[in-house]
Amino acid sequence: MSVTATGVIKTFGDYTALSNVSLEAREGEFLALLGPSGSGKTTLLRILAGLEFPDAGQILIGGEDMAGRPARDRRVGFVFQQYALFRHMTVADNIGFGLTVRPRGSRPATREIARRVAELLELVQLPDLGRRYPAQLSGGQRQRVALARALAVEPRILLLDEPFGALDAKVRKDLRRWLREVHDRTGLTSIFVTHDQDEALDLADRVVVMDHGCIEQIDTPEALWDRPASAFVCDFLGGANRVAAIASDGIIDVGGIRLPNHAPALQDGPVTGFIRPHEFSLAAPGSPGIPVTIRRCLRTGAQAALETETHDGAIIEVTLSEPPAGLVPGLTQVLVPTAIRAYPV
Amino acid sequence: MSVPAATAEPRWVRWLLIAVALGFLALNLALPLAAVFVEAFRKGVAAYVAAIRDPDALSALRLTLTVAAIAVPLNIVIGLAASWAIAKFDFRFKPFLVTLIDLPFSVSPVVSGLVYVLVFGMQGWFGEWLRDNDLQVIFAVPGLVLATIFITFPFVARELLPLMEEQGRDEEEAALSLGASGLSTFWHVTLPNVRWGLLYGVLLCNARAMGEFGAVSVVSGHIRGKTNTMPLHIEILYNEYNFAAAFAVASLLAGLALVTLVLKSALEWRFAGQLAGRGH
Repeated sequence: MSVTATGVIKTFGDYTALSNVSLEAREGEFLALLGPSGSGKTTLLRILAGLEFPDAGQILIGGEDMAGRPARDRRVGFVFQQYALFRHMTVADNIGFGLTVRPRGSRPATREIARRVAELLELVQLPDLGRRYPAQLSGGQRQRVALARALAVEPRILLLDEPFGALDAKVRKDLRRWLREVHDRTGLTSIFVTHDQDEALDLADRVVVMDHGCIEQIDTPEALWDRPASAFVCDFLGGANRVAAIASDGIIDVGGIRLPNHAPALQDGPVTGFIRPHEFSLAAPGSPGIPVTIRRCLRTGAQAALETETHDGAIIEVTLSEPPAGLVPGLTQVLVPTAIRAYPV
Repeated sequence: MSVPAATAEPRWVRWLLIAVALGFLALNLALPLAAVFVEAFRKGVAAYVAAIRDPDALSALRLTLTVAAIAVPLNIVIGLAASWAIAKFDFRFKPFLVTLIDLPFSVSPVVSGLVYVLVFGMQGWFGEWLRDNDLQVIFAVPGLVLATIFITFPFVARELLPLMEEQGRDEEEAALSLGASGLSTFWHVTLPNVRWGLLYGVLLCNARAMGEFGAVSVVSGHIRGKTNTMPLHIEILYNEYNFAAAFAVASLLAGLALVTLVLKSALEWRFAGQLAGRGH
């Protein structure tokens, strides 16, 4: 089912959590809300779930207006960052909760609930843990139970708040892949919140990048990576080095090297350029480019990762796929950028 | 040689600490408690039984139990409502409400009693109206109940508040998003999560409700056989130099308190696993 938010505004006292946010998740899409803490991504998710209500704006789920509709009438599956499992219930009772609390008329029979719970335990690969209590499970298992509980009520959409936030790196990776599989199997429109750009780019069909309560860009991971719409997006996606440059007629000049811009057009004058570590080659001292001193050099197989320092003390990270011999700390070199994305200063 | 743990103190320090704590408890708690029972039986079992079977004593016992039976359930409801509101919702006068809950602890019980006399007494604000409608609050059971509710209000709320605040709202929100109504969320999620804190608060509340003296003394009027609760009855007997009877009734009151404590320990032992949050 599709989800549409139009012109959503939310303030908490003097603090603006969301200022005029609009987005659309298409039927069956896996959408990521990506941004630093305080960007408003969790608030937006909670508004979609009906756990917060917007000051202005419209939420449509499957074309239906959600105004004034409380969380319990929205049929939205919500997975909480800290799992929020009912601590005094067994895993099976947790999963069956949404069915058990239905009014008498629409409540499935006890046996039917048990069957459904067993089915979901199978889906989340925890078939033998139905009688355990949440405190007896690992973080990854709890997250799976939380997902099973949300799926039990046959929600129309699935919302996940930092689903892997509290897990260690290895479990995170496994669970990430598994969640994508579950999504592909159920075909549920899903929206998840994360502050981890790798997670968003790896998992989502499209990524919504947010900052300070505004949407900076909505795009596929490829488009986001190739054409970041703003300096914030480029910076937040990570790894890019920030350099000062001059723009004239759409050409960017960095230390005498002139390159076409890989970002939206901008006015002539001083600009901030972003260059990714692999977008450099080395040249001898005195040639055009950015003169640097090598601080550290780490060789891994055929690659080399350099940490270099410019005359102003700025650090530039460089990755070379075919590094020359003799790169030692203290050596002076010139970095020649091969591509650049420039934004207004 | 084994390496001592970082927190291991020398043996004599540990023994000293234990001795100080035990000595203090023996001197200030065990000894007086024992004295109550010793004094109660000083004039023999027959005198003890007679003192207890005295109609005024029985009436005091009945009244004490009645007041507790009304005040404690009401405080459970009000305490639950207050702590639920404070822990799970945001509203403007929250800090004010939290302070208000502590008020009965900070005000002298005598003052709390006097306040009720001022409001509901014959010369009080509602005095005339109450007289016209043939209702008596002060020097009657309703006054005793009101004063007891006031004094014992913080026990349940104070016990539940930190617990509910620590547990947060996530589980309630999860229940709502799963389609549960507000009432069934409370019944299936909120209440079971705080049941041990609630039980503890209720036991403390009950112990104090039965033992309250100051506020109750002001509103009671000390009418023998009518508005005397056990603590008040004990004071009267004591002031009449009827020590054996005074201690006999006192031993009964102390007995009620001990039963409460034993009950609590028994429940803690029986459900130790759940208390530790491990489920079984």
